[in-house]
Amino acid sequence: MDFNFNEEQQMVYDSTKKFFEKETSGTLLRELMEDDKGYSPEVWKKMAELGWMGLLFKEEYGGFEGSFLDFALILEGMGKSAMPSPFLSTVILTGLIIQDNGSEELKKEYLPKIAEGECISTLAFLGRKGLYSKSELELEAKQVNGGYRISGAASFVPYAHVADNILCAAKTTDGKGVTLFMLDGKAPGIETINLHSISGKGVDCLVNFRDVQATPAQIVGEAGKGWEYIEAQWPKVAVALSCECVGGMDRVMELALNHVNERIQFGKPLSALQVVQHMCVDMAMKLETSRHTAHYAAWQINEGLDCTKEAAIAKSWCGEAFKVVTKIGHQLTGGIGFSKEFDLFLYTRNAKKLELLFGDGSFQRAIVADNIGL
Amino acid sequence: MDFKFTEEQVQFREEVKEFVTTEKEKGIFPFGNNCWMHLSSMEFSKEVAKKGLIGIAWPKEHGGRGMGYVDRVIMLEEMFRAGAPVAYHFMADRQVAPGIIHFGSDFLKKEFLSKIRNAEVCFCLLFSEPDAGSDLANCRTTAVEEGDYYIVNGQKVWTSNGHIADYGWALVKTNLDPAVSRYNAFSEMVIDMKSPGVTVRPLINSAGAHSFNEVYFDNVKVPKEYLVGTKDNGFRQIMTNLDFERAGIERLMQNSLTLDSLKDYVKTNDKGGKPLSQDPLIRDSIAKLEIEFEVGKLFIYYVASLLDKGKIPSYEAAMGKTFCTLYEAKLADVATTLMGLPGLLMPGSPEAPCNGMACEDYLWSPSYTLQGGVVEVLKNIVAQRGLKLGRKKK
Repeated sequence: MDFNFNEEQQMVYDSTKKFFEKETSGTLLRELMEDDKGYSPEVWKKMAELGWMGLLFKEEYGGFEGSFLDFALILEGMGKSAMPSPFLSTVILTGLIIQDNGSEELKKEYLPKIAEGECISTLAFLGRKGLYSKSELELEAKQVNGGYRISGAASFVPYAHVADNILCAAKTTDGKGVTLFMLDGKAPGIETINLHSISGKGVDCLVNFRDVQATPAQIVGEAGKGWEYIEAQWPKVAVALSCECVGGMDRVMELALNHVNERIQFGKPLSALQVVQHMCVDMAMKLETSRHTAHYAAWQINEGLDCTKEAAIAKSWCGEAFKVVTKIGHQLTGGIGFSKEFDLFLYTRNAKKLELLFGDGSFQRAIVADNIGL
Repeated sequence: MDFKFTEEQVQFREEVKEFVTTEKEKGIFPFGNNCWMHLSSMEFSKEVAKKGLIGIAWPKEHGGRGMGYVDRVIMLEEMFRAGAPVAYHFMADRQVAPGIIHFGSDFLKKEFLSKIRNAEVCFCLLFSEPDAGSDLANCRTTAVEEGDYYIVNGQKVWTSNGHIADYGWALVKTNLDPAVSRYNAFSEMVIDMKSPGVTVRPLINSAGAHSFNEVYFDNVKVPKEYLVGTKDNGFRQIMTNLDFERAGIERLMQNSLTLDSLKDYVKTNDKGGKPLSQDPLIRDSIAKLEIEFEVGKLFIYYVASLLDKGKIPSYEAAMGKTFCTLYEAKLADVATTLMGLPGLLMPGSPEAPCNGMACEDYLWSPSYTLQGGVVEVLKNIVAQRGLKLGRKKK
């Protein structure tokens, strides 16, 4: 067993770190939170130039057939930087779903564009209650003249307002189940409304669909199997988000440790106080256990092993750990940590969001319970 | 990163599993929880020895198998999963032999290593004293040179298996000069527990079991060749050793039978015509335990992998032990609560689920976060050695 990075992984980790140190600034992150687009097109372009978007795609579709572990480390760097972008929704929630299930035509049309950074895409599959459940889906596709008309609403759709494409999950009226359609983001009948969420004004959207037309060629894979296709990506998404949590925790630790080492009270640094030291250790334990748990699940994915349980463990553990770490971070950094001048608030927000995205702790634990025969 | 076990490791795990299953099925050995502290069987340990499973991580030139620490964790994982009664050889294998190999003279190696490997001797650890718990350097037991001997006087306490041990592995004060730093005043030595002047008195723990003892030394003669390593260097030697003590999976799995029996209990008992295992809150509680267990296990393997790379995992081992014992302290609490009133039934009671295992464990559980370094001391180690906190500013 080797828990250390190999040379390539170390390179990916270091270069990602360097990239975000260069491209991220506190000012930019604060601007993006207020920005309508919610991401930086310049940074997005540079990320594409580094080959990140196509890392997991096959070479014939403009990809690099890279390792999921490398991908995981990039996500860790992203989490550490707190840089928002439509990366996951484009690469996994559209790209991988198409690569794994889509027709040759769809793959050829979209994957190279995504790999080039020329296509932002997202997945619309949640109802307004935001529940990860097939039965809560509010989009319906009616069959009309050999095509489809999609109507209804989807919510919590990241970056729908800037998306070139929206992959939408709709119940078909023939009762066959859920079907995925790859739509033009600006197709007639699509209306996007920005939600103001914990992570900013330009990230999540409510999307209304009014008789949006689709052809059978826009269906990804088989009609009626859409929900299964989404579920098949669940472990990858869960692990990717877990890695973001690890990166985020890493940064919060840095912020908090710097503070307790610098801040003098009662004539000595806060870090000389045992009670403060123990709080720091509690953070470190969350971080280190999360790191191994996330890497282990990422490794399982990379090896092609079934990791339903491991991914659920990672997401449940890392998601809750990140939140706890931000709470301890606040307690340690006091007033300055509660101000917008200090970067901690960026992570407090991300942590809460990452805790809930793609299933909170209890959602993941239900998966674990299923997998241990309960 | 590569989390794969080698072919040999996969095979080794199977071998151990098969061995443990066979021995358990014989029905003559006392399998159960807290097995490394409490369940001692020389006969079982001799079977372990025959199988070549004592000393697997010692170097070959000292009679070991030269296997790694990850291998050792694999072995212990399978033994603890079954609750194998390893107490007779456990301390000697884990701590005494590595200490002798690291620091001991050729005489000590010759005298003890093969006996330990063949499960012919049982060791106890003689560290804590009435005034030296977390503050181990406050030990007062003295060993004064007299001819070819040390004369030992004093008292040790919380000595697990002191009543069955043939030998003790002791920390004693050999430099009585008050001007000398207390960290340079101690030595490690082996003491024959049958020596005249050694008195062992049982201390019944709050769970009602006799696992600890008080050990008194009244002018006990210890031959000089039983001194381990360098005189007055004992404190440093012991600190190195403690990292090994803290690196093990025993801190995570001393109650693994309880988690299994809890899972069985909720699957086989109903509430309102539905198995308890379908109750969302019960499922969530058990999944929480399962997750912490898996997270802890991975961390233990991480620490073992550091040892295999030749690193001394001083703060990582402390972190692992903290995490794992906090989990252990919680396990029996959750298990008894989920079982409800039947969870309060003690071993031997009519109607006790899983023979009262959960209840008994609950009574043992306050000890987990104390033994081998309390959680708070371990956190100090992580903070100071790992996070480098509390150091003077340059």
